[in-house]
Amino acid sequence: MRPLVEVRSLSKHYGSRVAVDRVSFEVEPGEVLGLLGPNGSGKSTILRMLTGYLAPASGTALINGFDIVSDPRSARGCVGYVPEDVPLYQHMRVDELLRFMGRMRGLEGKALALALDAARERLALDEVRRMPVGKLSRGYRQRVAIALALLHGPRLVVLDEPTNGLDPRQIIELRHLVQCLATQCSVLVTSHVLGEIERMAHRVAILMDGRLLKIHSLRPGAADRQRWLRLQIHAPASTGLSSLLTGVPGVVAVEPDGSSATLSRWRVQVADIQAGQYIVAALSGAGLGVGEMTEAAADLEHLFLRLTSASNASPMALHS
Amino acid sequence: MNRLMVLTGKETSALFSSPIAYAVMAVFLLLLGYSFSITLFVSKNATLVHVFFQAAMLLVLIVPIITMRQFSEERRSGTLELLLTGPAHEIEVVLAKWLACMAVITLMTGLTFGYAIVLAIYGDPDWGPVYSGYAGLLLLGGALVSIGLALSALTTNQVVAAVVSLGVFGLLWGIDGLAAFATGRTENWILGLSLLGRFTPFATGALYLSDLGFFLVVTLLGMFLCVRALARR
Repeated sequence: MRPLVEVRSLSKHYGSRVAVDRVSFEVEPGEVLGLLGPNGSGKSTILRMLTGYLAPASGTALINGFDIVSDPRSARGCVGYVPEDVPLYQHMRVDELLRFMGRMRGLEGKALALALDAARERLALDEVRRMPVGKLSRGYRQRVAIALALLHGPRLVVLDEPTNGLDPRQIIELRHLVQCLATQCSVLVTSHVLGEIERMAHRVAILMDGRLLKIHSLRPGAADRQRWLRLQIHAPASTGLSSLLTGVPGVVAVEPDGSSATLSRWRVQVADIQAGQYIVAALSGAGLGVGEMTEAAADLEHLFLRLTSASNASPMALHS
Repeated sequence: MNRLMVLTGKETSALFSSPIAYAVMAVFLLLLGYSFSITLFVSKNATLVHVFFQAAMLLVLIVPIITMRQFSEERRSGTLELLLTGPAHEIEVVLAKWLACMAVITLMTGLTFGYAIVLAIYGDPDWGPVYSGYAGLLLLGGALVSIGLALSALTTNQVVAAVVSLGVFGLLWGIDGLAAFATGRTENWILGLSLLGRFTPFATGALYLSDLGFFLVVTLLGMFLCVRALARR
């Protein structure tokens, strides 16, 4: 199946500062791709280029087959975009704003009425439909912005830092909405909150200083998904113990994770979860007791820290 | 075209839903009404020439207040991103804002037509200068709005947009004062740039294609610069 979004070596400069440096990735139909990176890593700039607000310095992207450089209007027609900070016309009432944006998207008459009804129902906006946008809570404003983005039935929904300023309940609702959207279209979402991306996205693109460091799959059972085990062993950390663990079949990498006089903690990357049995067997064979062994849930956190702490990371696009 | 109409409707509604438009119109009409009455009682001439000059001077002062927030506020609040990442083109957005501002100016100057009706009831005014005066006011207003929008598109600060617009308008209004220090072709160039110089024939009932062309060119140039300023992001 052809990817819905093909980003090809996209770059953007602000004066002499490189904001985005030859970034390439793809988004499949029905996929939620997260862009993860610290502030200033180029996430929003990439979204602004894809949505036509900024022109790329070089490179391009195809959205549903339309080139954002040579045919930006057609490309924009396939996209629903919710910018960071949810900019809306404060003086307009919710219905007025929805109708305005719908008409701007070329909807008229019955098609417009149907789109408005669907958006209000989906985002639960009925009770605020006659209120001025400026009087809405942050959560409702976020809903209105998403409703505006969905009015024309886009193939790609782009959400820039959508959880900013939302309370925990609103974040959970947003997460469910994103999962629901993914059944009908693709979603490109940015965040600097690692846990949110991990819960929402199928894959995550890790960015740093405008460069794409890695694309990591978060789908259960994905071929490239890294699995990590946390181990507590009744023995102090030593190079011998590290070598022993490294030699176990299925073990990819071993990292010390703290130690005391009688106990050592390790993070072990394994190719398969079955490798845990071999580790226990190998340690028992060496006369060492295993205090605890758990699957480390936050492998994305570890990967993110490892990638972003490497200051001399080279530009690359590792696809899953 | 449909999108332009939708955008123009939204911009016009935004202008008329803010108290600024009403305050500006009220001050404009009050000052002109006062001036018209006093002059009429003193001179007893059925003419609006002095009203046109005062209206033009008021436009120089008032247009920056109308245009100052048009783009600077959209940039500051981020709604420009919402508009331009939808299907709207920069040209459509600029035209819609220009038309909305012109709606305010047309209404404002149109209401002063009541003075002409008063003259017609109690006297016998020469209608040629009346029509040309109103045409001049609209052409001047169009040019000022266009420049004001371009300056508003360059900044996120409304006050800066207003002050710079006022400065530019003031300079263009009275630039013929500088012509006294120049000679020959330079003097003609400076006089040619003067808004007052270009407006005077309209107010006095003399129509020249060169003056009409000047206002149209300035309007189009302002719009072009405005589109370029929006594209610079």
